[in-house]
Amino acid sequence: MSKTVINYLECQVVEENIHLTLFELCQASHASEETITSLVLEGVLEPTGQQAQDWQFTGASLRRAKLAKHLTEDMEINAPGIALALDLLERIDMLQAELVRMSRH
Amino acid sequence: MKFKDYYETLGVKRDATQDQIKSVYRKLARKFHPDVSKEADAEARFKEMGEAYKVLKDPESRASYDQLGTNWQNGQDFQPPPNADAGFEFSGRGGNTGFGDNSDFGDYFEQMFGQKTDFKQGRRRNVHAQGEDHHAKVQIDLEDAYRGAERNISLRMPVVDDNGHVITKDRTLSVNIPKGIRAGQTLRLSGQGGPGVGGGQAGDLYLEIVFRPHPRYRVDGRDVYVDLPLAPWEAALGASLTVPIPEGSVELTIPANSVDGRKLRLKGKGIPGKEAGDLYVVLTIVLPPADTEAEKEAYRKLQAAIPFNPRAV
Repeated sequence: MSKTVINYLECQVVEENIHLTLFELCQASHASEETITSLVLEGVLEPTGQQAQDWQFTGASLRRAKLAKHLTEDMEINAPGIALALDLLERIDMLQAELVRMSRH
Repeated sequence: MKFKDYYETLGVKRDATQDQIKSVYRKLARKFHPDVSKEADAEARFKEMGEAYKVLKDPESRASYDQLGTNWQNGQDFQPPPNADAGFEFSGRGGNTGFGDNSDFGDYFEQMFGQKTDFKQGRRRNVHAQGEDHHAKVQIDLEDAYRGAERNISLRMPVVDDNGHVITKDRTLSVNIPKGIRAGQTLRLSGQGGPGVGGGQAGDLYLEIVFRPHPRYRVDGRDVYVDLPLAPWEAALGASLTVPIPEGSVELTIPANSVDGRKLRLKGKGIPGKEAGDLYVVLTIVLPPADTEAEKEAYRKLQAAIPFNPRAV
């Protein structure tokens, strides 16, 4: 009998091992450079590096950038609105986590 | 094909103004946006609404949709009249409200009016472009995060065929799920996204991890919670119990006089990692029923033996 060998693909955990340049973040989130730049100005994303070409974003930025991109396009929210929405969504997540800790079945 | 009543989808009258359609859509979008909404079917609803709005928000496409007439019911079998798009000039402005990255006009509208979908619209930077990065959500078991796992993951991907129509392609990927992965984290698979153009590199595939709901465990970041039901005497007198945990089981000593809701922390027994999470065993006290005479008698004896008023401060 022949044995089928399956090659399992290796992957990286974005939030832990990865830093992204501006170009990579745009590519991964499908957001434009303008959108990302406006999010940096708004303090939604906090890359290291002074100039845009030196920016390094943490992997966790991808989730925020993707969310921002969807909200921008689907609801035509501007950057300050996105910043507010993201802060509120994160507060809801925290409260829900608190509920998990408190809930009993 | 089935007729889709875009007015019904948005809940607007056929003679609604463009402004009315816009404000109704905005309101619904805030309610059902999958990134914001907690409604169970938010994603499907949002896609339907997006398709309807995309057609109705543009006066040109709305007019060509309207000329199909008002006799059709939502879901009714429907053959588009020949040349349904005759006499309409599409300026090609097309909006971009689409959810996700692969939606343009709905399949339905596209079939009817022959609008072709171009995924790369506006995104192609140059001819030698890197392929697009793709995103998908995958469900794994909590146990996979404890041990790491080799999993086959099925993905459905809309692609454009040679005629410009959108078809769904299935593919299965064999993926090494790393130990210690948490819900909400993302895995990157290099080169598994869209193919490159003109010799460009393939894009990457990003998989967002979600845990399948577990009947016993609740998860909060790295920490895991499990309820442990106890009889009143186990909680009062203390007990030694074997408790199943995601990594097998542990011998647990319940301290005497434990109260309902008490949490026992098993340090480092949550999701593993550089900073491993903790496992919390939440004690829940379950009262035995007092159905038979013997059971009632036992409660009466307890009542007589212990002067106890739970409402006394």
